[in-house]
Amino acid sequence: MDSANSDSPRSRRQPGGPRASRKHTPKVNTKGLYQKALWQAFVKLDPRVELKNPVMFVVWLGTIITALMTINPNLFGPTPGDNLRVFNGLITVVLFLTVVFANFAEAVAEGRGKAQADALRSTKSETTARKVMPDGSVQSVSSTDLRRGDRIRVVAGDIIPADGEVLEGVASVDESAITGESAPVLKEPGSDVASSVTGGTRIRSDELLIRVTSDPGKGFIDRMIALVEGAERAKTPNEIALTVLLAVLTLIFLIVVATLPTIAYYVVGSSVSVALLISLLVALIPTTIGALLSAIGIAGMDRVAQFNVIATSGRAVEACGDIGTLVLDKTGTITLGNRLAEEFIPVNGHSLEEMARVALAASVFDQTPEGRSIVRLTEEQGAKVDFDTSKAEGIEFSAKTRMSGTHLPDGGEVRKGAVDAIKGFVRSRGGQLTPELDTAFERVSRLGGTPLAVCQDRELYGVIYLKDIVKPGIRERFDQLRRMGVRTVMLTGDNQITASVIAEEAGVDDFIAEATPEDKIEVIQSEQAQGKLVAMTGDGTNDAPALAQADVGVAMNSGTQAAKEAANMVDLDSDPTKLIDIVTIGKQLLITRGALTTFSIANDIAKYFAIIPAMFATAGIGSLNVMGLASAQSAVLSALIYNALIIPALIPLALTGVKFRPLTANELLQRNILIYGLGGVVIPFIAIKLIDLVVAAVGLA
Amino acid sequence: MKLADLPNGTLPVKLPESTFFLLTSQWRKRPLPLQLFLLLCLNLVTAPVVQAASGGELSRDNAYALGLLGLVTLGLCVYLFVVIFQPERF
Repeated sequence: MDSANSDSPRSRRQPGGPRASRKHTPKVNTKGLYQKALWQAFVKLDPRVELKNPVMFVVWLGTIITALMTINPNLFGPTPGDNLRVFNGLITVVLFLTVVFANFAEAVAEGRGKAQADALRSTKSETTARKVMPDGSVQSVSSTDLRRGDRIRVVAGDIIPADGEVLEGVASVDESAITGESAPVLKEPGSDVASSVTGGTRIRSDELLIRVTSDPGKGFIDRMIALVEGAERAKTPNEIALTVLLAVLTLIFLIVVATLPTIAYYVVGSSVSVALLISLLVALIPTTIGALLSAIGIAGMDRVAQFNVIATSGRAVEACGDIGTLVLDKTGTITLGNRLAEEFIPVNGHSLEEMARVALAASVFDQTPEGRSIVRLTEEQGAKVDFDTSKAEGIEFSAKTRMSGTHLPDGGEVRKGAVDAIKGFVRSRGGQLTPELDTAFERVSRLGGTPLAVCQDRELYGVIYLKDIVKPGIRERFDQLRRMGVRTVMLTGDNQITASVIAEEAGVDDFIAEATPEDKIEVIQSEQAQGKLVAMTGDGTNDAPALAQADVGVAMNSGTQAAKEAANMVDLDSDPTKLIDIVTIGKQLLITRGALTTFSIANDIAKYFAIIPAMFATAGIGSLNVMGLASAQSAVLSALIYNALIIPALIPLALTGVKFRPLTANELLQRNILIYGLGGVVIPFIAIKLIDLVVAAVGLA
Repeated sequence: MKLADLPNGTLPVKLPESTFFLLTSQWRKRPLPLQLFLLLCLNLVTAPVVQAASGGELSRDNAYALGLLGLVTLGLCVYLFVVIFQPERF
C-alpha cells in the first residue's frame, strides 16, 4: 500500500457480518464422500502407493507374510501352539484393516480436498471471450485459448474468462462466485485496489478492456485446485522431518524385532513365531501418526481454503504456524478504516462558523468517506457553500502534496491536509504560523485521531479531528498473539503521536510512524535477521517486494496483480485481519501433528506390556502381564485390534485439528504432554483390557 | 546399442541377442518382476546356508522361506535407510 497514502481514504470491501457466521460461498459437496473414500482405501493398497508411506508399507508387508503363515503356519519352521491357522488369520485380518483404515484416513482428507477443489472449479467454466486483435478487431475465442498478454473486452453480463488487469473502462463486477460477497465491486484501470479482475467473476455494468495475466490452468484458482486435490502437494519441511523420525523409529524397531529370536533362543531356549514378531513390530512402530500424517496436512490446506484464502503452497500454510512477527497496516487492519470528522478546533481567533465554512469549501469536491464526513459536520454547524461550485476547481489529494482542496472562483485557494503540509503551504503564501495550531495538533494526536489542518490562502483556520476507531476485540487478539509468542508491528503513515496512541490502544508491541514502503522491507529483513518468520498483508504494487520478502505474504484479492504474484497467499475476501486467523490455522496444524505424534509414541508402552509377556510366557515373566490379559493369543490380538481401531477413532481429530488455545509455547507443551502424552500412556491400557475381555468372551483366542 | 557392446564374451552362457535385448528393455520398463526373480536367485545361495545353520531341524521349504524372509527384512532396512536419507522422494 502507498505508505504516505496508507491511511488515505480507500474503499476496502469488508465482508458482511462476522466471518464465522458467513457461509463459504462455493459450497462443498460432501455427498458420497465416505463411500468414495472407502473405495479409495482399497485402491491405495497398490504397493506403489504404499511405498510412499514407510510405516504403513511395513504393516502392508507384514500382512502379506502373516497371510502366508495362515495358509501354512509352519512356513518358517515348526511353531508351537494350538489353532495357529485361525490365530494367524485373525492377525492378518487386523493388520489388513490397519492398512485399510490408514488409507481411509488419507482418502477422506483427499476427498474433502477434492470436493473443495470441485467447488472452486465450479467458479470457473469455459466461456467465450472477445479477444482484441493487434489491429483492433474483435474475435470470439474460447477462454481456454487465451494466453498471458492477450487483450480481451468484457461487457455487462459476461463472465470474465481469465485473471487479468483492467486497461480501460470503469465497471462494477460481481465477485460473489469466489468471495461470497453479493455487493458488486468497482473496477478501474491504474488503481492499486481495483485494477485486477479474477476469472469466473461476472461483470454487472458497463464494459472493460482487460489484459490477461495468466495462461490457462495457471491462475490462482487453478493453483489452489491442484493443491487441495493433492496433485501438487509436495511434502512440507515439517512433514519431511517427521517422516524421517518415523522411518528411524521403524528401522530401530525392525532391527530390535529381527534380532529378538536369536536372543530369545539363547535365553529361553524356544523359538518365537514369526507372526508374533510381526505383531510386536506393528504394535511398536508409530502406526497411528504414520496413518494420519498426510490426512493432517491435507486437512490443514482444506481449512485454509474454507477460510476463503488461496495458498500457493503447503509450505506457506505451515510457515504460518511458526510466525514470530506480524507486520500489520494500521488502517483497515487495526482500525476500522473509515475515519470520520469528529470536531473542529478553530485557531487564530477564528470562530467555529468561520472554520466550518472554510472546511466545507475545502471538502466540497472531496468524495472520499473522510471528505463526505467533513461536509456532514460542517452542515451540522450550519455552514453553506457561498461560491459557484461550477466555476470552482477541486484539487485532489496526492501522496506527494499530502493535501487536497479547492480553487475558488475569485482566485482564492482553500486547502486541508496533513498539518506539516498545510504549514508549508501557508508559509509559501507568506502567512504566519501560530503555536495554537501545534497545541491543537498534539491534542488530536493524543486522542489517537488524525489532525487535518485547514487554511485559506495565507490564513490558518484550525484543525479537523478525524476520529479513527480501533476495531473492537483487536486488543484481545493481540494479547492472544503475544501469549503465543508472536510480536506485532504496526505500520502507519500517521504522525508519531497518533501512531503511538493507536499502538497503545490496540496493544501492538511496536509501531513505525510516517512509514514508507522501504520501511516495510527493512522491518521484515531486521526481524528475519533475528531468526524470526515474518507475515504481512499488502495490496499495492509497492507492497510486492515486501510480500515477496516476507515468509508469509497475504495479498488482498482486491489488490494489484503484482502484489498477488509476489504473495504466497491470496485472501479472496480482502480482509487484512484474516492474517491473524491464518496464523491460528498454521499453529493448529503444527499442534495437531505434534499431539498425535506424542499420542502415537506414548501408546507403545501399553502395547509392549501386552505383547512381551505373551511372547515369552515360558520365560517366567508372567508378572509383566500387569493388565491380567486372558491368554497370550488374546493379548496379542487385543493390542493389534486397539492399534487398528485407534486410527479411524482419531480421523475426526486429524481432520478438524486439535482445539486451538492461545497459550505460550511452554504452556501448550505442558498441556499437550499431559493430555496426549499421559493420555496416550493410560488410554491403551484401559482399551486393550476391554478389547481383551471382549476377545476372550467371544472366544476368538 | 551396438552388437559389439553385447557382453556375450563375458557371460558364462551365450545368450541369444534377442533375449538380451528383451531383458534390458524389460528392466527399464518393468523392473519389479526382474528384481523379484533376482531375489529368488539370491535366495538359492542363502537358503542352503540357513539350512546348514539349523542343524537339520528345518526342512528345505522352511530354509527357503526363512532365507527369503531374511532378504525381505534386509530389503526393508535398505528401503528405510533410503527414506531417512532422501525423505523428499516419499
